[in-house]
Amino acid sequence: MKHVIIGVGAAGITAAKTIREIDPEAKIVMVSTDAWVHSRCMLHKYLNHERDEMGLSFIPEDFFDRYKIQWKKETKVTKIHAQVQKVRLEDGSSLSYDRLLIATGAASVIPPVGGLRTAKNVFGLRNLSDAQQIRSMAEKAQRILIIGSGLVGMEAAYAFLESGKEVTVAEMADRILPLQLDEKTGKAYQRLFEQAGCRFMLGKKATATVSDATGNISKVVLDDNSGIECDLVIVAAGVRPEISCVEKSAVRADRCIGVNENMQTSYPYVYAAGDVTGLSGIWPNAMKQGQVAAQNMCGVPTVYDDCYAMKNTMNFYGLLTLSLGRGVIEEGDEVLINEDCKNYRRAILRNGKLDSILLQGTIDYSGIYQYLIKNGIDLKEKKGEIFGLSFKDFYGIKENGEYQFQIAGMAV
Amino acid sequence: MKRIVINAEKCDGCKNCTAACMQAHRNDEGTIYDLDLTDVTNESRNRILVDKDGTYKPIFCRHCQQPECVMSCMSGALQKDSVSGLVLYQEEKCGSCFMCVMNCPYGVLKPDTKTRSRVIKCDFCQDAGGEPSCVKACPKEAIYVEEVQG
Repeated sequence: MKHVIIGVGAAGITAAKTIREIDPEAKIVMVSTDAWVHSRCMLHKYLNHERDEMGLSFIPEDFFDRYKIQWKKETKVTKIHAQVQKVRLEDGSSLSYDRLLIATGAASVIPPVGGLRTAKNVFGLRNLSDAQQIRSMAEKAQRILIIGSGLVGMEAAYAFLESGKEVTVAEMADRILPLQLDEKTGKAYQRLFEQAGCRFMLGKKATATVSDATGNISKVVLDDNSGIECDLVIVAAGVRPEISCVEKSAVRADRCIGVNENMQTSYPYVYAAGDVTGLSGIWPNAMKQGQVAAQNMCGVPTVYDDCYAMKNTMNFYGLLTLSLGRGVIEEGDEVLINEDCKNYRRAILRNGKLDSILLQGTIDYSGIYQYLIKNGIDLKEKKGEIFGLSFKDFYGIKENGEYQFQIAGMAV
Repeated sequence: MKRIVINAEKCDGCKNCTAACMQAHRNDEGTIYDLDLTDVTNESRNRILVDKDGTYKPIFCRHCQQPECVMSCMSGALQKDSVSGLVLYQEEKCGSCFMCVMNCPYGVLKPDTKTRSRVIKCDFCQDAGGEPSCVKACPKEAIYVEEVQG
């Protein structure tokens, strides 16, 4: 059996490893535009010189040898000929496959505002190649503007503050990290960033740009007509699934590549996993999707059922936060808040079940909350002790010594 | 693989296992008799929790067959060893994102208290010969090492 995997991110790498574990004889070929296998979650550590290219790797050094995988790096798949089970590469050559996995991830979205899409000093921050260009240009840039205060934007801000740059973050919402945090927890980070020298323009949208003689953007104008002078712009305003390889192919895609519960696309023998599926944008889910796709590619029927994706942790200036759920309070919800000098905790209960939880400060042993949310466990009886729950409250042990949740006397 | 099997009914909450874990992971030299229990750099990888009915619930890393911590690790610091079956942590690779803390369904993991840059995780006392110190310290055989499936 010959497997071709496009992409060497979380989904692609996990899939390749899983295939090898199931089938020692399979032929595995990976194709990537990336020159380095790297963790996108650590690009900020490259920007501030904390790590080099090798340091961003999330696989053992001998990964491709150990798992007998052929890797065609810096190679783009230009077309998928699903009817004849072949992919065309940009050098004109073709690769045939028995099973194909598309794990091409996502690409930064640069909004069509002024010269953002054309200027040479504007970058998304998605790939190591972006980070390499940014870092090299940042050597001569002092004033950095970051558009968007999501995790990518704030990580970039953190890196540049560490490098002694003047950093401004512009955000459309009235608070930072609006998807993950509420006002209180967002403010706590905002204060820490401001103490480090960061400037925030909240509730403001970029509307126009001013370019200098070389075509670089020297100023970005916001909707209140204020302007931010800058030498370098990073746009962290979201991503879109990278589906260009399936354009004009038999594999159906509409903004993302749709998959069934086995991670199979609309076309036989073609699978997709990770951000390209539009199912989630976070690392753990991409890994699991890659694993499930690989099992199905090897003829081991497996369902992707661990789909819960509204989860995040963050760690800036030693302040930790765990955020699970949408964090949106609806009518009839019960909101529980618990604070002390070092912690802020907020739980949203809906119909006696935990919908969202936000823990800032200590996040020790907080893993059980994701289980309680995604399995819709009834917590009516336990809501008085919601922030004190631990596995002791659901304690069960399987025959092989592993743990298992015990809910109302039933093993689940 | 070898796993620390738990017989919770036998646990009487003496926490010798917790002290032994702290002793095994302390940075300075010394014996259990001069171990500083208040020094946060000597954090235990295991916990004994008391339930409402007064029984004890030992919380120890299971080195799971399908380790959710490994499946959340974006730096490759957490890996399940294919030979020993242990879920091992390489501190120098860790990106300190703590998605592993979020993803362990049993709430076994925590960030280190002092620097919040590494995860506190059972290593099966690899540096001390691979025989878990907690097991050696248990006077009740409430925890013991056994060969198990997965």
